[in-house]
Parts: sequence; structure tokens; C-alpha cells
Amino acid sequence: MNLSFLPEDMNWTCELCQEKLQPGLVELHYVGSVFKVELPVCPTCSKVLIPEELAVGRMLEVEQLLEDK
Amino acid sequence: MEQKDLREWEKRCIQEEPPACRAGCPLGVDARGFVLAVKDDDLAGARVLLEKSMPLAGIVARMCESPCEQYCLRENLGGSIAIGSLERMCIKAVPAKKKLLRLPPRPKKVAVIGAGPSSLTVAFDLAKKGYPVSIFHLQDGPGGWLRSIPESVLSGEMLEEELLRLTTLGVTYCKVDVLDASLWTQDGFDAFYIGQDDTLMQVDALKIGVPDSFTFALDTPGLFTGGLSAEDHRYRFITDVSQGREAAVSIDRFLQGASLTAARVALRHGKTDLYTSLDDIDFEERVVASTAGYTRDEAQKEAARCIDCQCLECVKGCVYLKDYGAYPKIYARRVYNNSAIVKGNHQANGFINSCSLCGQCETICPNDFSMADLCLDARRTMVEEDRMPGSAHWFALEEMRSARTEGALVRHAPGRETSTTLFYPGCQLAGIRPQQTLRLYDYLQELDPATGLWLDCCGAPGYWAGRENEFSDILGDLEQIWLGMGEPLVLTGCSTCLKMFRDHLPMIKVESVWGVLAEQPPAGARAGVAMALSDPCTSRHDEKTQKAVRKMLDTIGQTLTPLEMSGDLTECCGFGGLMESANPVLTKKVTAARVAQTESEMLTYCAMCRDQLARTGKPVSHVLDLLFHDVAHSATEPSPTISERRKNRRRLKNDVLKNYPDDALTETLEWEELSLHIEPEISILLEERRILEDDIRKVLYQTKQQGTALIHGENGSKIASAQLGQVTFWVRYKEENSIFYIESCWSHRMTITGGVS
Repeated sequence: MNLSFLPEDMNWTCELCQEKLQPGLVELHYVGSVFKVELPVCPTCSKVLIPEELAVGRMLEVEQLLEDK
Repeated sequence: MEQKDLREWEKRCIQEEPPACRAGCPLGVDARGFVLAVKDDDLAGARVLLEKSMPLAGIVARMCESPCEQYCLRENLGGSIAIGSLERMCIKAVPAKKKLLRLPPRPKKVAVIGAGPSSLTVAFDLAKKGYPVSIFHLQDGPGGWLRSIPESVLSGEMLEEELLRLTTLGVTYCKVDVLDASLWTQDGFDAFYIGQDDTLMQVDALKIGVPDSFTFALDTPGLFTGGLSAEDHRYRFITDVSQGREAAVSIDRFLQGASLTAARVALRHGKTDLYTSLDDIDFEERVVASTAGYTRDEAQKEAARCIDCQCLECVKGCVYLKDYGAYPKIYARRVYNNSAIVKGNHQANGFINSCSLCGQCETICPNDFSMADLCLDARRTMVEEDRMPGSAHWFALEEMRSARTEGALVRHAPGRETSTTLFYPGCQLAGIRPQQTLRLYDYLQELDPATGLWLDCCGAPGYWAGRENEFSDILGDLEQIWLGMGEPLVLTGCSTCLKMFRDHLPMIKVESVWGVLAEQPPAGARAGVAMALSDPCTSRHDEKTQKAVRKMLDTIGQTLTPLEMSGDLTECCGFGGLMESANPVLTKKVTAARVAQTESEMLTYCAMCRDQLARTGKPVSHVLDLLFHDVAHSATEPSPTISERRKNRRRLKNDVLKNYPDDALTETLEWEELSLHIEPEISILLEERRILEDDIRKVLYQTKQQGTALIHGENGSKIASAQLGQVTFWVRYKEENSIFYIESCWSHRMTITGGVS
């Protein structure tokens, strides 16, 4: 899953840091597996946005695959 | 599950037992498969099935007297399938394969004395195994009495063709003047078969002796005989062929130095353990051939009468078993393989977690095969080995934990210090019908003022999920609570709770509340329209409660319409066994199938069944709607959402606590006070994604406290997120005048370890 999951709409700002989210590499963990994926990240506090399409789509699929491993 | 356990499970499912026709064929021809192939007009496929089991199919299919037909289950429903006639039609219509396959040659030689049907069978079977076979026959040629069969049945040309085919297997024909003892005492052969279905020298024939009836071996090692049927035997031909086949098996074993009898299966003579229900089979006359034999069309019509004997009794009644496309014997293998697998996907996880554990299959199965036991055991192993998918039962377990904490309460009746009885409505009734729960409690107090109230969850979700430790802790906890209340009688409003108490807490005296109401229904109870009563699956073997409910309904004049799967055959609504949690798609099919069993409105005495069945849009009432008209719900009222169920339990608890001035009410937490605006389509989304309004409020509250929302640069939407337990929730919203307008919500189980540079 070393892929980019940047949403079309990248116009999100971190409330805390007042920084626009930028593409950044993020580590996602589940049942012993680690994936590095590209997601919108706050350049200051590293807060990540998991877009809805990713959560209910590819991410869910991978979660289920890993659960059955 | 160990391999020996698998064998035990497999033995119980009889679906793979042969149908009676095959069990009645001395050659074990797959007659059912053959007839079904004819039905499908696949005559080439049909012939392949014949050739698979028959020696010299061109002769056997024409000559066989079809003993299989006497076992056909169609016999009294229009006459047995004309399997023999179908075989003759097929064998005439499809030419033989040019080449017969033969195993690599073996050194030991076999002499076959006589060339009648049994001898030709021995030669065929052993030649295919690679043995060089010599057939000794009289001057008029091999075939014996087959040479005098009418041309219309077996032509000379066909006989010659089949005899010629034998030579392609390495069989040699030796013409002799007499078939006498010199032939079975000669040198140069390792085994001899004497076919008594040919003309032997009588003096020598008398000295042959009687063979073993199972192996057809004579006392002299290496000497075998068969073809012993009398000329007027009804099944003379096929019996002789069968004896030849059995002798060939013995000769092969003898030549390999193996036991003639070890692990050898005797002929079944039609006996089989396959159960086939004839309940829905209509009478249908056998198709009469317009000419000497069936035409292709006639054969197809006749074959279409085949019942296609199968058991599948459990599968017929269960959407779940049907949905996975097989039957318990196969499923047991899948479950075994699923636990045996070391690397790779556990493909049966979903299957194991989708069973409602309702027990209908066990009740229906002639051998009591219980998918519930199989699946529950597998779930326990998965939990024990820490490989149960985290998402499978997550929501249901969270519900259970919530009902056991924020929804739980136990009190003697207000102003009393003891209870003779404790009313235990169950967490689902409390969550789905809180007002009715209270109304029922009031009534029970009228009947016995010393009736206390116990709001809790019986732990069934933990039990169903295979979480033995958690369930055991809950049982211990429940026992302590009951002891603390002075060991009163427990009256449950839920069949599942009743079953859990009875099965796992036998020290607690427990009864169904419906038993009490059957004796003393409330005065204001009124019948509704005619309805079909759906017994909850956890009441399957609780005839007492089922009868009490019917008595109660009869007393109030309620008309019940028939529902086929009722009583001990009743079906799960889709909630049982946490099916809904593990497989919501299948649950919808199960529920839809259940409501489709009746045109009438439905009635039930299980809150979960009401909730589940009503999701289809079917009007469904709970018996409480009839018993207490002042708090009745409409049969068409939609089921409460998951969020409403949580709120209802909390509210019910607080409503009860209001009657106890010394008890503090449960305080409302700050996050609970956030105002949400949720449009109906978002509500549906939340339900599908199993996101509670509680979760949304917690996420919004936390985000607001920390100021960690994400804000859209143009439209002003915000996104809040927080990990609550195993799940991270996300909420997109707009905030106006302290009201949160929810635009969407989603969640995931993966955890984020932050941005990586």
C-alpha cells in the first residue's frame, strides 16, 4: 500500500497551527503491518487527514485482508 | 479442531452418501449423475459416467437388468426412473471412446477360463490394471451365452466390437475344445479365474468347490471363480458381472500380496444413509417409449422425473447455509482448514462468524449436525489464538459493555429491602422499548409488590463471539448481583437471557415473564389484526414459553395465522450469533427471507426480532403492543437507531432512579450536551457505518477542547477526529450557533503514527 491517497480537495488548514495541509508520508499500522502512504499532513504538528473515500474504500479492504491473514 | 474431530464432524453429514440407485448398483454406477446428464441432454457426459464404472459399457449398458430401479425413491410416486432404458438409449446414441486407458504393464499373468459376462469383466478390469490376461474360450468364440441374445438387444456386431476393444487392453483370446481343469492347473500363470457362466466340462466343474461369497476366492490360493447365477435369476447378467468385478479385485490384491478383505467395502444392495425428503415431490407417471426404446426427447422427459436425491435438509431451511453454496460436510472441512492454515488467508473467517448459532440445522438434521457448535468452537479457537478479526464482533461487544455499565441497574422495588422476584427485561427490550419495559415492570409490581428490577446484559454477545473469559467474568458478576439481591426468582423478558441463565447459571431460578402474563394478562390487553407469530430462535427448545405466549394471546383473543417455521423449527431474525455484526449483507437476506414466509403482519415476543424484522418494512408488533395499549407502538414504526437504543437505556435507568430519592441520577457529561443536527440520509449512513451519536459528540467535544479541527479554506466545513478505543472516528461538520450540522462521518481501525518526514 505504498501509495498516494491525496484527495482532490487539498484546501484544508490545521486549526491549531494555522498551516495548510501538505502532501506528506504517513505511517499506518494494523495487526502487525505497517504502511507508508502519502496523505495531507500539517507541516508543523503532523496532524493527518484520512479522507472519507480512503477510509471506507481501500483502507477498509486492507483492514479486512489483514484481519484474515 | 484436530483431524479426528473433523472426521467425526464429517461422518455426521450424510449429504455425500450415495443415492439409493447408486447404492443399489453392484458396479456403483453414478446413476443419479447419469440420469441428470440425460435430463440436461448431455449424452456424451452421461456415457462418460457409465464408462467410469462399467466394464465393456457397450455390452453392460445394453444387458443390465437394472437392479437399481427397485431402490429408486420415485417408485411410489409414478414409478422408478427407467434407468435401464435411459442407459440403452444413451449407449446407442453416443459412440464408444476409441481408446481405453491402461496402467503400465505388470509381469504377473492371469488366465481367465470361460468367456461369459463374468469372465469378460475379470479380463477387462485386470487388463486395465496392466496385467496380461488370456481368455480361454470355446470354439464358437468368446461371449458364452451372450452369443444367444436377440439381435435387437445385443447384436453380434456390437458384441464383436466390444470383444475387439478388449484386445486393445492386451487381452489375448485362446480357443480351446473344452474348458476343463487342465486350464486352471496349467503352468505359466500366476492366478486363474474360472467363469462358471460359460460351458465348463461338467465333471471338472463339480470339483471346483464353493468360493468365499465376499472375495470369490477358492481354497486353492490363486484360484478364483464366479458367474454362479442360475439361468432364471432375475438379475443374472449383472450379478455375474458383479461377481467378476469382485473376483478381479481379489485377484489384483492376491497378485500384490495384499489381504483380500482388509478395508474392502461390501456391496450396499441399495442401503444408504442418505436422507431424502419426499414431502414436496408430486406424483408423475413414467414416460412410455413410443418405439422399442426411448427417443432422445422421451429420455430427457423421463430423466426429468428424477428426484435428484439429496439430503440438504438443513440447507433448504437456512439462508446462511445456502449462501455459502455447500453443505455441512464441506463446511466442516473449510472450518478445519481455516484453523490449520499457517500462512495465507483464513478464508472461512467470515463464514464462521456469520452463523446465527440458532440451532435450526441441528433440529432438522437426521444426525443432529450442529453448525452452531462447529462455528462457536471455531470462534473460541480464533479468540484463544488471537486471530479473531477485530471488526467482526466489535460493535456488538461494545453494545454489551455499554448495557452492562451505563445501562445497568439493580434495585428492589421502591421502599422495599427485599425482592421475591427480579424482573430482568434484557438489554434489547430496554433499548428498543424503554417505556413498555417500565409499564410491564409496573404491572409486575401490581401482581407482586416485592418485584425488583434488574437492567443488565446477560453476556450473550460475549458468548456468541467466542470470548470465553469475558463471558465467564460476566456470569460471575451476574451471580454475585443475584446473590446480593437475596437469590430471588428472575423473570426475563428476553428468550436469549432466559437461555443464557438456564444454560450457564443453573443455580439461578429463572422463568419467562410471558409465563406470568399467560396466567394473569393485564385487563386492558387487546387483540390486534391477525398476525403470524415468530418465535425467537433462542426459544427453540423452550416449549413451555412458546406455549405460554400462545395461551396469553389466546386469552386476549388474538388470531394467529400459520408460519411454517415455528416452534422448534423457528428461524433466526438475523441478529442471533452476532450475524448482523459480522455479516450485515447476509443478515438482510436472512431477515427478508423470514418475513417473506407470511403475507400477514408479524408478531413476536423478542425485542431484537421485532427490531430486526421491522427493518424490512414489514409491519411487526411486539406482544407488549397488545398487552399494554396505552404504550403500544405502531406495527409499522421504524426500528430505533443504534444511537437511540443507547440513549433509551440511559433514559430508562434514570427514569427508574427517579423513584429512589436517595440515589443520585446519572450525571449528564459535558460531551453529551453538544447539540447535533443530523439529516435523515446521514442518520442512515451512521447506522450503516455503526457510528453512534455518542461517538460524534465525543469526537467533537475532544477536538473542540484541543482546538485541533481541520478547517476548509472555502466552504467553512470542519473535520474533527479522535481515536475512541480501537476505532478512529472522523466527523465533517459546520458549526452555527453552537449547533453542529453533521455533513458526514467515517471511521477506520488502522492507527496513524503521525507524519513521516
